[in-house]
Amino acid sequence: MQDARIRLFSFVSLSIATFLSVPGAVLSLGWLLLSPGTLRETMKSAAFWVILLFVTIIATATQMSGNDGLSYFIRTGVIILLGFSVYREWHPGEYLDLSVWLFGKKAGFDIGLAVEMSIQGLHEASREFARIRSALSLKGLQPGIRLIPAVGFLMIHTRLMRARDQADLLATRGYRAGGSCCPVFRTSNRDITMGILAILVVFLSFMPVRDIFILQM
Amino acid sequence: MKLSLSAVEWNAGSWKFRADETFTPGVHLVSGRVGSGKTTLALLSARLLQPDAGAVEYEDIRSRTLSFQYPEYHITGSTLHEEAESYGVNPSAACARAGLAGRWDEDPFRLSRGELKLFQLSCLFMRQWDLLILDEPFSALDCRGKLAVCRSIGENRSGIVLVSTHEQHILPKTDYLWEMRTGKLTFRGPLPEAITAWESAPGPVRMLREQGVIPANLTRDDILEAVCRMHE
Repeated sequence: MQDARIRLFSFVSLSIATFLSVPGAVLSLGWLLLSPGTLRETMKSAAFWVILLFVTIIATATQMSGNDGLSYFIRTGVIILLGFSVYREWHPGEYLDLSVWLFGKKAGFDIGLAVEMSIQGLHEASREFARIRSALSLKGLQPGIRLIPAVGFLMIHTRLMRARDQADLLATRGYRAGGSCCPVFRTSNRDITMGILAILVVFLSFMPVRDIFILQM
Repeated sequence: MKLSLSAVEWNAGSWKFRADETFTPGVHLVSGRVGSGKTTLALLSARLLQPDAGAVEYEDIRSRTLSFQYPEYHITGSTLHEEAESYGVNPSAACARAGLAGRWDEDPFRLSRGELKLFQLSCLFMRQWDLLILDEPFSALDCRGKLAVCRSIGENRSGIVLVSTHEQHILPKTDYLWEMRTGKLTFRGPLPEAITAWESAPGPVRMLREQGVIPANLTRDDILEAVCRMHE
């Protein structure tokens, strides 16, 4: 999806639908399947599987204690999948555009800048972690519990260094609050279709299953 | 001893890396603009990145390492002593070699990036490698540091030394010249013949070339000698 406004709207709508009911979660999953490329990329993320593992553990414990663990697993799993998919589709600068479009050039610019810097930071941290793992393997060190403090300290250090550089850069450029930004969005027919389908998913998730499928006894 | 990149391809979105070349012992200088694919070449050659197509093959390469552009990524110890030991080298000798004699108990993060870079490279140069890959070894270094690194590179030429850099002024004595241009690795040939075909040649080399003078190699002494010839 190209238009960040429709993407965010769809994400919020589908998250509500998924949270409300299992059919909503299943329909949201169907919506995600309409973008197989993004879904495939999301499935490659190690972080996604790690989080899903924790969700599975909690769901199993819930199910074993007599509650509806399966429903929890399906709904939470799809919400995580939605979150990762939206994160995958991010392009630099689009949340700044989106925030300015939503909240204006003062508060909107500040919020957008903070969001952009945070997402950029996550991307960089992910790249840095990959480099650190490579550096460890070059030294013949296997990642393990003993190395967690060293790697953790290194990640924090590099993030703080980066934050300081960014703060210096913003100050040098005279940033105080707000800023000038002219949001530009490109909307394709596919974006509109996906947006309409997301609304439809929310609508259907409110309806009981028996109203959607006419079951004959 | 041989490093072969056989029909290697690696994709990142619309950007594509392509290489189908072989590296033999000696110093290989890979030049190219920022974003041309030098780091990708380094990662693929060190087998830290899996190619999407083709293969990276080692022949008689038993030891290999890669130095990243940013030396912080390599830190695993809380002191320079621990850090040197993690490379399997003598800590006091490593500190002395990097101009940090007696500072072995210091925290690596308290060093400047240039000091840390020189220390990390010193640790690597204290061991023998069949394949030594240096990604931007001159970044963050001052003139003295760059010259020291050039000397050390020269001492390690019995193996395959891959130096990828966009350094313009201080370069090591080079055996073979390569260029990365928009993701494609191209062999320019052995020195000094390759200089005439070097598209992204640094300013001083370009200036000499325009005057019809070809330096014997790329070291500072070679450039100065060529400048003297220019006035003959």
